[in-house]
Amino acid sequence: MRSLPFALFTRLIPVALVILAIQRTVCATYRVDGVAIQVVLALAAGAGAGAGSERGAFAGFALGMMYDLGVGTPLGLTALAYGLAGLTSGYVVSITPDPQWWLGAIFVAIGSAVGEAAIPVVKFLTGQEGWLTDRMFEVVPVVTIAATLLSPLFVPLGRWCAGAKRRTWRAIPE
Amino acid sequence: MLSSLSRRRVVVLLILTSLLLITLDRRGNNVVIDKSRQAFSVIIRPFDVAAKAVSEPIANAWYGITRYDDVNAANQALRDQIEHQKGAEIEAKTAINIANDLLKLNRLTSVRNIKGVAAQVIGEAPSNFQNTIEVTVGSRDGVAVGMPVTDGAGLIGKVTKVYPDSSVVMLITDPQFTVQGQVLSRIEDEGASSTTSSTTANTALSGRPLDPTTSTSTTTTTTTPSSTTTTIGGDNVTPGQTTTSSSSTTSTTTPGFRVRRETGDISGQGADRPLLFSLIDDTALTNVKVGDIVETAGGTKSLAPQSIPIGTITAVTRRLGSRSPIVEVEPNASLTQLNFVSVVLFVPNQAAI
Repeated sequence: MRSLPFALFTRLIPVALVILAIQRTVCATYRVDGVAIQVVLALAAGAGAGAGSERGAFAGFALGMMYDLGVGTPLGLTALAYGLAGLTSGYVVSITPDPQWWLGAIFVAIGSAVGEAAIPVVKFLTGQEGWLTDRMFEVVPVVTIAATLLSPLFVPLGRWCAGAKRRTWRAIPE
Repeated sequence: MLSSLSRRRVVVLLILTSLLLITLDRRGNNVVIDKSRQAFSVIIRPFDVAAKAVSEPIANAWYGITRYDDVNAANQALRDQIEHQKGAEIEAKTAINIANDLLKLNRLTSVRNIKGVAAQVIGEAPSNFQNTIEVTVGSRDGVAVGMPVTDGAGLIGKVTKVYPDSSVVMLITDPQFTVQGQVLSRIEDEGASSTTSSTTANTALSGRPLDPTTSTSTTTTTTTPSSTTTTIGGDNVTPGQTTTSSSSTTSTTTPGFRVRRETGDISGQGADRPLLFSLIDDTALTNVKVGDIVETAGGTKSLAPQSIPIGTITAVTRRLGSRSPIVEVEPNASLTQLNFVSVVLFVPNQAAI
């Protein structure tokens, strides 16, 4: 297992730049029913589901920081939301020692739902009112479904970016 | 290091760091954060260009296949619309010329006297909880934070972040957006009589801004050559405002109307939702009606100069138990289909930003 700072600089940041560029161009332009799919959030949740809660939280935080820098949202806002997404998906993955791919997809869905819903909540708590509306019930499901569909790609990618390895199980020799 | 941190400590550390950063950023004027953003915008630019270069041809091909009929229909509708607008444009140009002449005569400024810089929209907000666009002009073109941005139809937002070659514009539908607006409502002038003897002012106002209530009337005059200086009284003109006028011995006044200016704050309510217009004077609401045009109010504390069109009032709804009704305004500009915009090089007061 790589140390997190090493993985952060050599893996996560280059991958995040590419994913963020896709977010800023493709996802911002081509929306699903007016909702922008959040691929960076999907990666944060994938990192949590693939590498565990602590690494997922830090990876999500780093991805969110880059998002804030690139998009112009208040610095730390998306970082907090995406950190929570990585932490949540990593936390729920601890219920099983070796999750199947579909179980990983569910964990990513939970993490991304928490992350997307956390943004208006954090905005509200920091004085930016007007976003806690019924539109959340439209936005969160679309983002969650998209993250679930992307999870077969983003869980291994997130695990690699966070410097973790897939757990292997070996039978104890008799 | 990481292994020594428990899950609870990780959560606390992330939350505290985030809150600290949010606080620092929201306080503004943080050099480190501003420089970091600028540096990051330079780093991410090649990635954006590459992503766009790859995705656009694929998307265009897809749209070409799946929406060919829609595109044809839209094209035909737009051609028809252009034909209809040609006539209206000539009338509008004439009206603008007359308005500019009057403004010049009265030594008042118009938004047309303030320069603007054209820009192309290069990106929309990637987040679902932010109504912003990115445009191709930045600090090198003279753009600064707070400047209003318009398109052909009216105000679309204000500049919130400026980089050397690009800027982020917060759209008027963003809940954080507020601008002072005015609505010019027309009231039938009951005081005017059909035939009267009166002194009619041919005004050369002494450089004061227009009074909130301006009286207009259709007047036929027979003038004898005698000149006098008159102080205009009544509710409609600021006391002490003087005009030089030609007095008339006989005049015929037909019933006219007064244009009453109501001001208030216009704020966004999120994408796909109308703007909210909160009038300063609630009693004025009897005059405000659906279909009235709303434009920027101007003034030292306003974000934008006077008379930039914002939208049209679409609903005036009274609420039970509340004195102030809800006035909804539909923006003139189509905010989902922005391509070219203009940043008005008007530096607003810091308090307005």
